[in-house]
Amino acid sequence: MENNKLIDFVNISKSYQDNLVLDELNLYIRENEFLTLLGPSGCGKTTTLRILGGFESPDQGRVIFDGKDITNLPPNHRQLNTVFQKYALFSHMTIAENIAFGLKIKKKSKAYIQDKINYALKLVNLDGFGNRYPNSLSGGQQQRIAIARAIVNEPKVLLLDEPLGALDLKLRQDMQYELVRLKNELGITFVYVTHDQEEALTMSDTIVVMNQGYIQQIGSPEKIYNEPENAFVADFIGDSNIIAGTMIEDRMVEILGARFECVDEGFGRNKPVDVVIRPEDVDLVKPEEGTIKGTVTSLIFKGVHYEMDVMANGYEWLVHSTDLVPVGTEVGIRVVPFDIQIMNKPESEDEEAVTIDE
Amino acid sequence: MNKKKWLAAPYSIWSLAFILIPLGIIVYYGFTDKDGAFTLYNIMQITRPENAKALGLALLLSLIATLICLILAYPLAMILCSMNVNQTSFIVLIFILPMWMNFLLRTLAWQTLLEKTGVINSIFHALHLPSLNIINTPYAIVLGMVYNFLPFMVLPIYNVLLKLDKDVINASRDLGANEIQTFTKVIFPLSMPGVVSGIMMVFIPSLTTFVISTMLGGSKILLIGNVIEQEFTQGSNWHVGSGLSLVLMVFILLSMIVMFKYDKDGEGGALL
Amino acid sequence: MRKFIKRFYLLLIFILLYAPIVTLVVLSFNNSKTRSKWGGFTTKWYHSLFQNDQILNALSNTLLIAVLSALIATIIGTAAAIGIHNMKSKGRSFMMGINNIPMMNSEIVTGISLMLLFIAAGNIYGNMTGKGSVSLFGFTTILLAHITFNIPYVVLSVMPKLRQVNPNTYEAALDLGASPLYAYFKVIIPDILPGILSGFLLSFTLSLDDFVITHFTKGAGVDTLSTKIYTEVKKGIKPEMYALSTLMFGAVLLLLLFVNYAPKKKESADGLHFSSKAGVAKKVVAVALVAVIFIGGFYAYSGSSAAHSEQVIVYNWGEYMDPEVIEQFTKETGIEVIYDEFETNETMYPKVEAGAVAYDLVCPSDYMIKRMLDNDLLAKINFDNVPNIKNIGKTYLEQSQEFDPTNEYSVPYTWGTVGILYNKKKVKEPVDSWSILWDSKYKDQILMQDSVRDAFAVALKSLGYSLNSTDEKELEEAKDLLIEQKPLVQAYVIDQVRDKMIGNEAAIGVIYSGEAIYTQRENPDLEYVIPKEGSNIWFDSWVIPKNAPNKENAEKFLNFLCRPDIALKNFEYITYSTPNEEARKLIKDEDIRNSKIAFPDISSLKNCETFQFLGDDADALYNRLWREVKSK
Repeated sequence: MENNKLIDFVNISKSYQDNLVLDELNLYIRENEFLTLLGPSGCGKTTTLRILGGFESPDQGRVIFDGKDITNLPPNHRQLNTVFQKYALFSHMTIAENIAFGLKIKKKSKAYIQDKINYALKLVNLDGFGNRYPNSLSGGQQQRIAIARAIVNEPKVLLLDEPLGALDLKLRQDMQYELVRLKNELGITFVYVTHDQEEALTMSDTIVVMNQGYIQQIGSPEKIYNEPENAFVADFIGDSNIIAGTMIEDRMVEILGARFECVDEGFGRNKPVDVVIRPEDVDLVKPEEGTIKGTVTSLIFKGVHYEMDVMANGYEWLVHSTDLVPVGTEVGIRVVPFDIQIMNKPESEDEEAVTIDE
Repeated sequence: MNKKKWLAAPYSIWSLAFILIPLGIIVYYGFTDKDGAFTLYNIMQITRPENAKALGLALLLSLIATLICLILAYPLAMILCSMNVNQTSFIVLIFILPMWMNFLLRTLAWQTLLEKTGVINSIFHALHLPSLNIINTPYAIVLGMVYNFLPFMVLPIYNVLLKLDKDVINASRDLGANEIQTFTKVIFPLSMPGVVSGIMMVFIPSLTTFVISTMLGGSKILLIGNVIEQEFTQGSNWHVGSGLSLVLMVFILLSMIVMFKYDKDGEGGALL
Repeated sequence: MRKFIKRFYLLLIFILLYAPIVTLVVLSFNNSKTRSKWGGFTTKWYHSLFQNDQILNALSNTLLIAVLSALIATIIGTAAAIGIHNMKSKGRSFMMGINNIPMMNSEIVTGISLMLLFIAAGNIYGNMTGKGSVSLFGFTTILLAHITFNIPYVVLSVMPKLRQVNPNTYEAALDLGASPLYAYFKVIIPDILPGILSGFLLSFTLSLDDFVITHFTKGAGVDTLSTKIYTEVKKGIKPEMYALSTLMFGAVLLLLLFVNYAPKKKESADGLHFSSKAGVAKKVVAVALVAVIFIGGFYAYSGSSAAHSEQVIVYNWGEYMDPEVIEQFTKETGIEVIYDEFETNETMYPKVEAGAVAYDLVCPSDYMIKRMLDNDLLAKINFDNVPNIKNIGKTYLEQSQEFDPTNEYSVPYTWGTVGILYNKKKVKEPVDSWSILWDSKYKDQILMQDSVRDAFAVALKSLGYSLNSTDEKELEEAKDLLIEQKPLVQAYVIDQVRDKMIGNEAAIGVIYSGEAIYTQRENPDLEYVIPKEGSNIWFDSWVIPKNAPNKENAEKFLNFLCRPDIALKNFEYITYSTPNEEARKLIKDEDIRNSKIAFPDISSLKNCETFQFLGDDADALYNRLWREVKSK
């Protein structure tokens, strides 16, 4: 992946009335990247996207695009296009007119526009829909038209604001592949906003996890999943056991009164930390072989695996396993050192103090 | 579930008794003479130059008034929409509030304002401005129409604009349209249902008014509403009056067809 | 900058909307009775408002009709909306089409069609019961009409809300064991309540403001504020009316402020906050409505509690009788007077002819009496019951024979001439001829009468013809003359000549002699002359229609009116010359008793004529020519 920055957010803050939505956000987006802003509703991800799109202006800070400050540039002068959450198609225009909208504004020739419409409709697999009106299309079809309408303008960046939110599961999964295919075909930057971690993990090159106006972690999907930097990320991405513990020394952590070997270093001695262990990384063994002992309290069949709760040392462990262990069985718990992820406790209280309604 | 449609029964009976039958009576009178024989005489009265002129003038003045209302109301509705949500309902009410003052008194007040020695001219005089002589002219009638029917234009447009998805406007800007292009290509076309019902709500009462033209026109200007009113109350010729009413209804029907063309629900949903 | 323009624009519209309102408020504190003159600050109109039964009655009628019609329309309309919503698409579009008729129809057509319906219904009912034609017009007809034009608005405001309702909630309620009715009231109705409420408020407002439809469907003695004001517009609005509107406006404004700035418990911007506010609004509206119904009911009750078994229904010109006279009559005889007013002979005639309302005593002008007589609408007066006829001067009875040859059908009430009222400050030359009305020096300073016969009388007389001419050529000539005059005319008005002349709005006006006395009192610069070409000498006389239900009471009232003290009282109130010789003798002010304006010597009015009824065809001709003048 090329390393040149295309977009740079510098110290962006934004608040609505008394609610601080973004607090000194710094973020850069590289060319050709599929970057996802991920977080629960109210985390500031949509605001970030809207500031980039030009629909909101930040209270402070700058947005740099391709080396130029575009903070105060109106949306119609920005070289990027947006796919809106509820599609925002023009209901009084046909599909073709919708797609042609941006091109007509730019006074492109008729032939050029027609070519583009045909190309875009083919690209989103909706050949021959040109003369229909948006209301006669299904949600998924409207979604694809919204994308087609945006990309015919050949933007350098495509912004997508929870574009799959209104679609059902199967369609959503299909569209995920479709989006990745599109991105590869077009070779442009995608900035994608979602609260769905699976979507983010599936499509992105880079994921930015946000909460309460702060960036919690930036990284590749694998890194975000395997090495969450704090309890929020760990909890938000996938299922996990997050247990308060103490870093006794390098490569040794104490949780629930037992000492586990780990691979982390540099936290110092006797430091309180959060420990993350993914449920599929918990090995259930004979009681005497485990680091700690516990009892299986519930068992649910999930298809690929069984989901179990194991009560051990006062903590209910979430465990995924392909082996069935009946409820009531005494088990031992063991975790491979590599699968134990150590995180610092949140530094200040106010990272959690801000509440946001979006 | 289907039993519920009988809830419309009282209204069906009501509309038969108080809407359809009266209309039938008008049609009957319109096509008969004093002896009850069929005639087109009453309808053809519209071709008399004085009646045709009254209709023409009424059409002209009400079209002008409707246009002015639209030009005044649209920005007003947009401004109201852009205001803080908490204040909006109050401000909107402020603009409807004058409707609670009696319609005749409001119009009469304009007479006081516009008269030669009226309030406005007194102010103009004190400021050494030329006096405003529009009372008893068509201008005063147009002013009266605009004043009385402006809220009927503002409300439907306001309601449509309020419901407009803001992202549609953003989408237009995003696709490169500047503010003016966004207005002409997206906002205005999408607000058409409100505009159309606003136009109807202003145009029809303006076209048929006889009170405004009497009070602000000094009875010098005869509109079709005055002609019909006089046929019923003074000339005592209900047949001609009904005939002319039918002609007027044709014009209203024509504008209704235009309305249906835009308001595809056919249910005037944009009105409220 | 942008914000500034927005604010500025809002302010401009605001000024446009509120300028007339402010004017009315200011007028309500104006000590002068005329609209165009500021006579100092006073609150007396607010005091007299609460003594004015006519206005208070009109107010209670207005409120009662508004509340009842809105309520009934809301119930029928909401039911209809639910019904229509559940119809198949064909039935639905049919019903919606019908629903659009009253909305799209002009008010005037709706009003007239309902009037024709009520007349027809009255005739049918009368024939069935053998009473001849029966008038149905009254409070109920107004109410029915208002409900009719209100329902469509309710349907239109409820329909969109119904479409938004999630049908599953209703099914969920059924699933949880609710009966369909219970489910509907607990689940659907609350969902569409905003639509129902806004339909109700819209209906209430429209009903409150309606004039045209009420005008055509009202009956005798029943007035709403609108019709009351319309009658008064021609005569000059009573300042109490301004006071009343100011109070009503203030009340609504206060209500609004209260709803908006009532202390809010929840300051958080969540959904709860909004609903609590809507709740307050609902409560306020409910309280206000209860108050309105209560007040309205109180007035209606107090009105009906005073109902007498005996009554007399009087149809008179606007502002043409001292209200105290009516009170005194009721006090002395126990007969209740139902009093109704008309603006012109031409508006009165069809109402009496159609029998829309059966009046006992009507006060038309000379030529109209002849017309009614010719059309066999009048009953002979039994003069045994009217001994006070002796007080009426013989000359007046003789003059009356022009329209009532046997003096059996009418009793003169007022009489006078038509002449020119001019402002000495603006017109320096001597005025003695109609020709001054064609002098282009006075462009836009001339007020003409807005009635066919009066306008043509001026033109015919100045041409030297009879004002009763039916000669088409003479009339065409007169028409041309009137058309020639039109550019010079400021306005065609009836009784507003009075106010406009007092307020110096115009220099010259054609006016009835009766108004001259009043105007001179208010503005000493005004002078009245009867032009040398001659003019109209007119009589307004009492007649009893054939279908009068209380003929004897009518005669009693007539006799009462001829009593010198009563005639004097009326003379002082309306300032129109009385033919009652005994009353004239009682006038204290010598100047007025001997005034040549109020009491010219009939023999000196040689060139003056009384209007004759010219027949329906000639009438139609006059009307047509007059319209040609107006439409030029």
